[in-house]
Amino acid sequence: MTPTSPPPAGHRAPGPLPDVAYARMTLVLRVGLLTAVAILLVALGAFLLEHPGESSNAAIATNPLVEYLSLPTLASGLTSGAPEAYLALGTFVLIATPLVRVATGSYYFAEGRERVMTAVTLTVLVLLVLGILVIGPLIH
Amino acid sequence: MDLGLFVLILALAAVVAGFIGSLTGLGGGVVMIPVLVIFFAVPFPIAVGAGSVTILATSATTGAAYVHDRLTDLRIGMFLEIATVPGALLGAGLTVVLTHADLDQALLIALGFVLLAIVPGSIARWNEELPSGVVPDARSVRLGFSGSYRDAALGRTIEYQAADTDTALGVMFGAGVVSGMFGIGAGIFKVLALDRYLRLPMKVATATSNFMIGVTAAAGAGVLLAAGYINPLIAAPVAVGTVVGAFSGSRILPSLHNRTVRWIFVPVIVALAVETILRGVGLP
Repeated sequence: MTPTSPPPAGHRAPGPLPDVAYARMTLVLRVGLLTAVAILLVALGAFLLEHPGESSNAAIATNPLVEYLSLPTLASGLTSGAPEAYLALGTFVLIATPLVRVATGSYYFAEGRERVMTAVTLTVLVLLVLGILVIGPLIH
Repeated sequence: MDLGLFVLILALAAVVAGFIGSLTGLGGGVVMIPVLVIFFAVPFPIAVGAGSVTILATSATTGAAYVHDRLTDLRIGMFLEIATVPGALLGAGLTVVLTHADLDQALLIALGFVLLAIVPGSIARWNEELPSGVVPDARSVRLGFSGSYRDAALGRTIEYQAADTDTALGVMFGAGVVSGMFGIGAGIFKVLALDRYLRLPMKVATATSNFMIGVTAAAGAGVLLAAGYINPLIAAPVAVGTVVGAFSGSRILPSLHNRTVRWIFVPVIVALAVETILRGVGLP
């Protein structure tokens, strides 16, 4: 069967996703977003207080996030209270939010026994994880 | 410029970017990148990184609102991500390669022409409020690519069904490549695929595009992070400002007419295309 061939006789199109799927998806996005923004706001304020009078050119020329791309350096920065480490953490939470959203969708498609949509969302999730953790550093 | 003032101005610019992005489905990166490059002389790759953050923030903000309001079509959005994510990985890789080859200006010019290419099709349906005569294809029927939403502007429930899913998948792959290359989320192309090929109502198209762009941006973020193009001192104020603007936009969209959304969409694209091409050829 080709992807666009007609559905078999007696085929029933899947119904809409349950209300709980919409509610959980909304919750995931809100929690991820608010967490990221709260961390970024506090970290940015702390950075500005620690670097009074710094010029924007200096900020553009240097990227403090590069130091915190590995888990050990990030953990070390967070425990020592470095604002740069918290800026990195807030950015990571923002990037991770869509991944959790895809995983949530995949769960509800699996629960509804929708094989095609479950496979599609799981594939997207695997590609995202590979893209962020493997392909990104490899290309660089 | 003092860093504190720089951060404040960036946040204010991001409010505008988030507002426009949330209404048009463009994410806001398409506004933020030219602003950073033209007014703050931020190198293009760093601006692309900030653009990705704008998209992530807009997508999460509007996603929460539009999913709650049922304007976003979850099923269609999540299905089409199978095309945009591989495209974004390819595009992000291309950006790193092209930037190392000192092709920044060429990338800007290309971005401008990419934007201009969208305009004619949108003008052709300038006054269309709702799509008519939509014939769903077999995949659309089989996977249940249909839905309904309560349209506050029209005062009734609108039902819709998706049409040409094959072409939409192809356009979405291209959208992913452009997104990875330019950090703009390529909401323009996503809206194009959802509006022109799937034939969804314009508000559903922009809401679903906003939902999808976060995943596309996340796909490319790994490459941008590793390359050092996401600078948190730029990304943080941009993210905060974007959230404020996108939230405001998400409260307005449900009450707008579909054609009004299109009227906002087209001039924004034309202005940014011209601005970006001029910058690319070296004019102020």
